[in-house]
Amino acid sequence: MVLTFVEIGISKEEALEALQVVRQECHGDATRTAGGSGATRKCTALELLEEEQAQGFIITFCSALDNILGGGVQLTKITEICGAPGVGKTQLCMQLAVDVQIPECFGGVAGEAVFIDTEGSFMVDRVVEIATACVRHCQLIAEAHQEEDNLKALETFSLESILSHIYYFRCRDYVELLAQVYLLPDFLSEHSKVRLVVVDGIAFPFRHDFEDLSLRTRLLNGLAQQLIIIANDHKSAVVLTNQMTTRIGQSQSTLVPALGESWGHAATVRLIFHWDNSQRLATLYKSPSQKESTIPYHITSHGFRDVQPPAVTQNAEDTEMNPRKRPRREEEK
Amino acid sequence: MDWDQFDLNPKVVAALKKADIKSIKQILNLSGADLQRLMKLSSADIQCLLKTVSHTLRRNSMITALQLYQDKDHLTSQHQKLSLGCSVLDTLLKGGIPLVGITELAGESSAGKTQISLQLCLCVQYPYKYGGLESGAVYICTEDVFPSKRLQQLIDQQHKLRADVPAEIIQKIKFGNSIFVEHAADLDTFHNCITKRISLLLTRGMVRLVVIDSIAALFRCEFGVSDSVMKARYLQTFGAELHSLSTRFRTPIMCINQVTDAVSESEAAQCSCSVVGNRVCPALGITWANQLLMRLMVSRVPQPAPSSGVVSHPTGSVRTLRVVFAPHLPSSSCCYTVKLEGVKGIK
Repeated sequence: MVLTFVEIGISKEEALEALQVVRQECHGDATRTAGGSGATRKCTALELLEEEQAQGFIITFCSALDNILGGGVQLTKITEICGAPGVGKTQLCMQLAVDVQIPECFGGVAGEAVFIDTEGSFMVDRVVEIATACVRHCQLIAEAHQEEDNLKALETFSLESILSHIYYFRCRDYVELLAQVYLLPDFLSEHSKVRLVVVDGIAFPFRHDFEDLSLRTRLLNGLAQQLIIIANDHKSAVVLTNQMTTRIGQSQSTLVPALGESWGHAATVRLIFHWDNSQRLATLYKSPSQKESTIPYHITSHGFRDVQPPAVTQNAEDTEMNPRKRPRREEEK
Repeated sequence: MDWDQFDLNPKVVAALKKADIKSIKQILNLSGADLQRLMKLSSADIQCLLKTVSHTLRRNSMITALQLYQDKDHLTSQHQKLSLGCSVLDTLLKGGIPLVGITELAGESSAGKTQISLQLCLCVQYPYKYGGLESGAVYICTEDVFPSKRLQQLIDQQHKLRADVPAEIIQKIKFGNSIFVEHAADLDTFHNCITKRISLLLTRGMVRLVVIDSIAALFRCEFGVSDSVMKARYLQTFGAELHSLSTRFRTPIMCINQVTDAVSESEAAQCSCSVVGNRVCPALGITWANQLLMRLMVSRVPQPAPSSGVVSHPTGSVRTLRVVFAPHLPSSSCCYTVKLEGVKGIK
């Protein structure tokens, strides 16, 4: 209610009456919408904490990165990955589109993925390499532990099934991207197993063609709001990739994420990928719960990985897949 | 825009016409609240309108990764690439140049960039079966004169380079007829070239390859340090236009770029160049790099001594082709030589 009654030329009584009507409408709307999405709920901070801790994480296969993120890429939140070309943003997105599908018995969230590509950098052959390595990894674990549920899950966790559950959308300009995001909620309602929405990259369609930067800011804000709602309503992780741009300072120039200051508030978690000589580094730059830290990572033929492979013991392999699962002890077999 | 064609409530159609809204883009540019105010409709009506126009724009746009993988149709498949005419180089690139996106070839002068580009202009004319696209090429020169003598040499020697293709097929192709040479020495001429002249050739299906030799030359003289914003604007506009042409016509765009000295370690690191200890990095900075799908670098850095048993070439003529970044390729390299018949990789 930003207008004062003076501005719109009505009396104080009329203004109060208008406010009453609106308040009733909102309440009415809230009770009418099924499922409570958009309705205001009252709950305690403890309930919220429990809910948040129960949220799943999508592992990245780089345990160092999973650690600094507090377990992996979190569902219901927007994670932004910024970096120069070639540093590995698209690689991580492709890795996540595979990892979101890992069955629960292997520590995954057994979800599906939506991949919105604005740059045309989604090369399916590379996804095949990553998916094949992931299936192989799960097979090794199943062989080592010989458990009923692991072996059963592997029957449906194959290259073909992984590829068939990545829903790919190619958007060639910002108008197509906006339209696609308007259609996403309905798509996600029809495909309720989706747990990851990737937009690779969010900057590309918005960095040319805009004489009016305030229009761009408004559109980006609207987009961010819609994605936040989607992340929450559909219990999905939203992952966006962003470019870097040069900010010219007093004495030197630095690389900063593109799309301006106001865009910086869109994502809950912001990662910046960069180089130190020939080592790739990931810095957690912004997070509501984790502290800022930097870790090294590798891109191998299998995908996104740690720099040093973890110790080759059975226990370590188990915890590498799911840090929260405790290793099995002999007596439990 | 004929709003009557859309599956919309007549009152919404009337409101659209009254508010003088002419395109889907106009609708999507406005926020929900703005649309409500402009068209005097309820929030529910506006939501419905947004979904309907979005649906019209994005009908049938979903494809699964499995369908992408299984698509073997050469007109749509991602597996289809433009061969370089040499099996060693094609293996390095896992098939060749991707058909959608801008590929950059950067390197010092006389490292072999023009040679590779000329070779591509010939490769594109071969049938799909032999890694070509059965179409011509347009070669945009921005500084030097087009090397027509060298092109003629390469044409005459095609049977030697492409021993994998039957001689009668090579004889049938009129290589010279399908290479269109354009000259554009300044930014406006270049802009005109890509928006008008090249579009025409692409629409008519006469070319399926665009080579720009070189993109850096256009920006060399015209911009001082204080004009970096202007320069960035031009680069982004060109990048977007080339990208759009490439996507619409499934046509690879090959941009040749020069290199500059990397002033600091961090600068070299930004272009992923310090891997080999190179102190040069491609020109035009991160603004241009953001437009690229794939970056290749050529150089004359001598390779370590080959293992015994391998015939060693005189180091002067050996060059290195390196993949700096690509979404589907690891950082890798291979050596090649420039012979009379063209560029050939060395295993």
